[in-house]
Amino acid sequence: MAEIRPYWALAAAAALGFRVLLLILFPGDLHLGSRPEVATPLTSLRRLSEGYWLKQSSMSPYAGSMYHGSPLLLPILGPLTAERTDGQPAHFYCSLLFVVVDFVTAMLIRATGQKLLLSRRQSLEYLNLPKLVKNSANINAGDLASLIYLWNPLTIVTCLGLCSSPIDNLMVVLTIYAACSRLAPLAAFGYVLATHLSLYPAILILPVILLLGYGPDAPPAKLFLHKSSNSDGKDPSNNDESRSAVTTHKPVRCFSRRPVVHFMIWVSIWSCYVLFLCSIYLKGLGGLQEMFKKTYGFILTVGDLSPNIGVLWYFFAEVFEFFRNFFLIVFHVNILFMILPLAIRLKHRPCFLAFVYTAISAMLKSYPSVGDSALYLGLLGLFANELADMQFSFFLFFGYIGVSLLSPVMHNLWIWRGTGNANFYFATGLVYSCLQTVLIVESVSTMLKHDRMLRKHVIA
Amino acid sequence: MASLRPLSRGPFLLLLIFFVFSLSLLRPIQGNGGSDGGGGGEEFSEELLLKPLPDRKVLAHFHFRSAAPPSAANGRHHHLFPKAIAQLVQKFQIRELELSFTQGRWNYERWGGSDPISTRNAKPPGVELWALFDLPTEEIDPTWKNLTHALSGLFCASINFLESPTAYSSPYWGFLSNNGNLRYGALPREAVCTENLTPWLKILPCRDKAGIASLLYRPSIYKGYYHSQRLRLLSSESKGIILEQTLTVVLQPNSYTSSLLSSSDAQLQPSWSLSQLFKKEMTGKCVLAKSSKIFLELERGLLEKIVEIRDDSWSNSFFDLFPSPDREIKELENSNGQVGSSLYEYKVDNSNENKPLDVGITWKLPLVWSSVHAPFQASRFLMGSGNERGSIAISLQSTQTHDQYFGDLNDCTVPVIVLQVVPWYVKVYYHTLQISIDGKPQTLSDVIEKIQVTPSEDKLLPGTLEIMLRFPCSMLSATLSLDFDKGFLHIDEYPPDANQGFDIPSALVTFPNIYSSRSYPDYDVSDDSSLLHNLQEKYLVRSYTEVLLVPLTTPDFSMPYNVITFTCTVLALYFGSLLNVLRRRIGEEERLLAKKDSARPGLVPLLFSRLSSKLKGRKLLLKVVFVALVAVVWHYFLNSS
Amino acid sequence: MAIDRRRPKPSRRSHFVIRETLLLLFLLLICAPSPSSSSSSSSSSMHNNNWAVLVCTSRFWFNYRHMANTLSLYRTVKRLGIPDERIILMLADDMACNARNTYPAQVFNNENHQLNLYGDNVEVDYRGYEVTVENFLRVLTGRHDSAVPRSKRLLSDEGSHILLYMTGHGGDEFLKFQDSEELQSHDLADVVKQMKEKNRFKELLIMVDTCQAATLFSQLNSPGVLAIGSSMKGENSYSHHLDSDIGVSVVDRFTFYTLTFFEKLNMYSNASLNSLFASYNPTLLMSTAYYRTDLYERPLNEVPVTNFFGSVMKTMHTDSAYTGFSITPEIELPLSSEDTAADRILLENETHKEEANSDEVKDRSCSSYEWLKVLQDRLADEKSDTIVMYGLGTMILLLTVSTWLST
Repeated sequence: MAEIRPYWALAAAAALGFRVLLLILFPGDLHLGSRPEVATPLTSLRRLSEGYWLKQSSMSPYAGSMYHGSPLLLPILGPLTAERTDGQPAHFYCSLLFVVVDFVTAMLIRATGQKLLLSRRQSLEYLNLPKLVKNSANINAGDLASLIYLWNPLTIVTCLGLCSSPIDNLMVVLTIYAACSRLAPLAAFGYVLATHLSLYPAILILPVILLLGYGPDAPPAKLFLHKSSNSDGKDPSNNDESRSAVTTHKPVRCFSRRPVVHFMIWVSIWSCYVLFLCSIYLKGLGGLQEMFKKTYGFILTVGDLSPNIGVLWYFFAEVFEFFRNFFLIVFHVNILFMILPLAIRLKHRPCFLAFVYTAISAMLKSYPSVGDSALYLGLLGLFANELADMQFSFFLFFGYIGVSLLSPVMHNLWIWRGTGNANFYFATGLVYSCLQTVLIVESVSTMLKHDRMLRKHVIA
Repeated sequence: MASLRPLSRGPFLLLLIFFVFSLSLLRPIQGNGGSDGGGGGEEFSEELLLKPLPDRKVLAHFHFRSAAPPSAANGRHHHLFPKAIAQLVQKFQIRELELSFTQGRWNYERWGGSDPISTRNAKPPGVELWALFDLPTEEIDPTWKNLTHALSGLFCASINFLESPTAYSSPYWGFLSNNGNLRYGALPREAVCTENLTPWLKILPCRDKAGIASLLYRPSIYKGYYHSQRLRLLSSESKGIILEQTLTVVLQPNSYTSSLLSSSDAQLQPSWSLSQLFKKEMTGKCVLAKSSKIFLELERGLLEKIVEIRDDSWSNSFFDLFPSPDREIKELENSNGQVGSSLYEYKVDNSNENKPLDVGITWKLPLVWSSVHAPFQASRFLMGSGNERGSIAISLQSTQTHDQYFGDLNDCTVPVIVLQVVPWYVKVYYHTLQISIDGKPQTLSDVIEKIQVTPSEDKLLPGTLEIMLRFPCSMLSATLSLDFDKGFLHIDEYPPDANQGFDIPSALVTFPNIYSSRSYPDYDVSDDSSLLHNLQEKYLVRSYTEVLLVPLTTPDFSMPYNVITFTCTVLALYFGSLLNVLRRRIGEEERLLAKKDSARPGLVPLLFSRLSSKLKGRKLLLKVVFVALVAVVWHYFLNSS
Repeated sequence: MAIDRRRPKPSRRSHFVIRETLLLLFLLLICAPSPSSSSSSSSSSMHNNNWAVLVCTSRFWFNYRHMANTLSLYRTVKRLGIPDERIILMLADDMACNARNTYPAQVFNNENHQLNLYGDNVEVDYRGYEVTVENFLRVLTGRHDSAVPRSKRLLSDEGSHILLYMTGHGGDEFLKFQDSEELQSHDLADVVKQMKEKNRFKELLIMVDTCQAATLFSQLNSPGVLAIGSSMKGENSYSHHLDSDIGVSVVDRFTFYTLTFFEKLNMYSNASLNSLFASYNPTLLMSTAYYRTDLYERPLNEVPVTNFFGSVMKTMHTDSAYTGFSITPEIELPLSSEDTAADRILLENETHKEEANSDEVKDRSCSSYEWLKVLQDRLADEKSDTIVMYGLGTMILLLTVSTWLST
């Protein structure tokens, strides 16, 4: 496993080739774009082209409750989705673009993984735990994660499924990568665009600040203190070495304000710029106010009750009208509630924190899709070393497979055959949420256990 | 006080009192002044047009017209004109209004599509209401709401469902060109029955007690293939208010027992008369009516056949009209002096109780003819299966009658306006609009002259598509198609019979260059038959398409509690377990455990702790038992009391 | 008769009830200082008018008999003198012109087809989808949208005798509306209580023909209410006979025997309520008719049935010539015009306010986005698409430069 590197280029190229192959073999016959699991009202390209058409006929793209995405996607993706008559299937170029986007995302994940690996190796070496470093399970997480991302069937489906989630995912990954490499402007760019595109990445602000402030994931700070005090007291012979180690590591652990301040400044610059571009695009067509109402408002009020793999659509289709607002608040606050406790317990591992946040928002967001799962499953690979002894992984693996097979079947039975009913499909949604819950809880607890194990090793 | 209360109730009673008044007032005037309606120039006229249709059916078209002059001196007092309608016009500042109740679908292929009767009286099934207001734009919507409620009270129908903004639209030019003061709404599923006809008849000065309206025997009307009851209001400063009430029915005359007929007689058109169609005869006119006439129309297609044989037009070897008409009015065909249709007029004035008028036709020889078609026949259908998405297609089939409308086929084009209103839960993708002519897809910009889209807003606004197309005259068929997604509603938004599906109101196809009108050179203006006047008026040829039934998926209506509990359980599971993981500090717990292990307790404290834990358990048990007991006692007490 | 005990469909009803109760509390607070006077006035007021609310709650063709029941009652009360304006008729489906009806525009309650219940003069006030629990409660409590016409309102007062007749499918303490909603006994009791508080009736007779009809009255506790149900708890109400021409049962037993009782009467007969109750024979009904009389004060054998099922007016003798008749329209019209005028003024005020608001908003936005506006205006003549594309390009450029600088 550790020797992924030589084959990485091959595997990645194969994944991209596979996508292109599918694209050429089934020109528009896959109908993935109409699968509710793949394209949500927010990301559907079909809706985007309706918005583009409305804009072309000098109406607001948001007229008609069809398009709910960012106005900036319209001039980029709009012309690509317009019907073509010259032999090429519609959306062909768009899907090609998404293949490229997937590749970039995978590259960024890989780069992030390498940063994480470096930091992990350094910190473990500092903690004098070489056996952990040289452990057989010590695989190149970046390569693994990027391959997971590229070969994940969910990612492939999303990429070919005519929805804009690959771009959303790219922005999130870009944010994490840039924060890991402490590139404040890039991180701010990714953060602002990700938030602009799908709102939920807004909660990534904490991990990004932590990443910029402290640097990539490392064992808890206490261990370093413990270690340094130990080495100071016990090992006078190693004093020089440890001191040099301290000098190399100390700045990592200290909270450096400079990049964070830079990040903040850049965030404000980018958001002003993005809003300015939006306002130019929507000039005379409803303006920013309508944009916020139709994008963020649409996300927050769960106005579209069409089925998706989440549970909220059926909930809000059935719940009594006068409790609707209450439950809207409850569901959204549920995402926010967990932010702080997680940040407190996992502040030394901001990348992992970002992963947990993405997973939580993928589970609780108003219009979830498999694209969101593809993202956090890809990120999960980054922590392959730490999460090696995670429980229930077998169960989770087959759970995901089961749900992704059953969900289309149930949908077909309900919508197309008319023999099943909504409850069956909703049940798969419930199971899927449970799986995601288990995944989140287990990964967090495994990570905490891993830290405990490190401490044991350090103290022992 | 006791006898005052009924007077304060509703326009109906007022109306009734008013009628009693007007009747009692007008009787003597009638006696003296002959047929000169009431004072103040208010007029009422009643007419009936009968027409044999090619498919052995009969069309009966009742036409009532009341007019109130604009004189301010009249104030709120009317002699003939219905007060409820006058109040409606005044209160809501209506300039034009049309309300129609229709059951059945007008068969454009067999009953004609471009003659004045069909273009005016073929209406979409259910209720259709449109109104032009004389109000500033911001007041129109509230006024429309009040108007729908008022009309629903007046005509015993659920017209008030048109009040919600999701039910009506304001087309710009697809229906009638206007400057934003038009509102148009349709309820395709509204039932039409006696209770709608009764108040409609109560508006007439003689109600259904005398005159032509007395023919309206309910069971025979509602047995018909099509009936459309229409009310049209026109009000202007100069002309006052004009109220036109028409009722169009297509009936199947009872032919003699067909089994006894020979094969040649089977093709014979059924003979009919008023008494046979309506179970009643004309026994005098409504005394308040200025004119009271019955017309029998024979179509051009029919007359052409007869002229070939050079027979007399109303009594010939094919058929006899009885009694012989008072007058024949011939239509002038504008091109090269062809035969046009003929109207045979009967005056109702001459009939009375002893000498009833029973207009009819007796067929002697089989005759086959066809009625006049519009240049294209419009129909609409749904494509696709399943409950997720589909497409609407409107197809126009040429009726091969272009030489009537356009001369040269080679480089002429015919404009067509399509108005399509779709409810919001049918989410139309307007960018998927495709038009094909004779099966070949077209570039949109070549065909579309003008397009106006008002996309639907979820739970707010229906989508409106107005599109003006220009087709080549030689075209055989054209198809417009639009894709849509089916929406998903909240369970409260489904009607009680949700599984029946939802209706998309009829689309309207207008031919803006083609007018239907008849010209009668013999007709003199002094005669003043409003029906003839209407027939002569230029009117755009339009046709309505079918109503579409879209099945939508339904959620399980019995699930709300289950869904709420399941979802909340999953959320609680997530929240609780994650919080638990974050809270636990296994290291400390282990240390604590180790401490406990190291401090091994003695036997007594161990026993004590075990006992106490057991007691604790028992306490819990006791509590449970106690609560159960209380509950049982309480229940018993409640039941016994 | 099927008793389909479904989980109650959530509806706005309970919300409605909550709101109503709140309103009621509020009203009670207002009325608190003079409860005695109002109650005394209501008890002393004379019976001076009659109203009838007739409700058929069932949809679909096989429930033909429920509509026939209701229409029979409609015909009876009209025959006995209640005018159409004082009858609120609610029919949940259209049977007369139903495609399955072999007798178009006619409804019969007997297989001899003697009597067309759907004559030339039927006025249906609520029909089809309008027959909901919400509308039913609105009619009874009189809380309508201001646009609702008078013919759809129950305009009764403290001197009114109201007949409330309901038929449909029911069960233990509920009555189904259109197979999708339920009216529960609590709702009924609550609405009757509100009517009493609002002096909307003097006496109320509730007649219900459903399965287990008696249970629907269990929560009633307002004085002046009399209730008749077709069956006791645990009993079904059965249909009377099947019409093989129409293909479905055409009348229910309870209503059928009620009608036989009334057919013998005319407007002037003095049959008492007691004789009506006595006419129900449990063996013929195949269920036990139930009467709840504990809320009713007068002895039943002294109350003629025409007190509820007819409209018998007392003639009042006045010495002077009666002038009210000619004045009435003048009294009424100014009132209505005032109403509309007030409405219009209200509307105008609102629009003014909105305009003012939007102006303010505009002002504010103008001041803060002045530069933006200038910029946008300058860019206006070019295509926004291209500008945004350039903008995005600039963004990438800026991004690379800034990233490069910060590394």
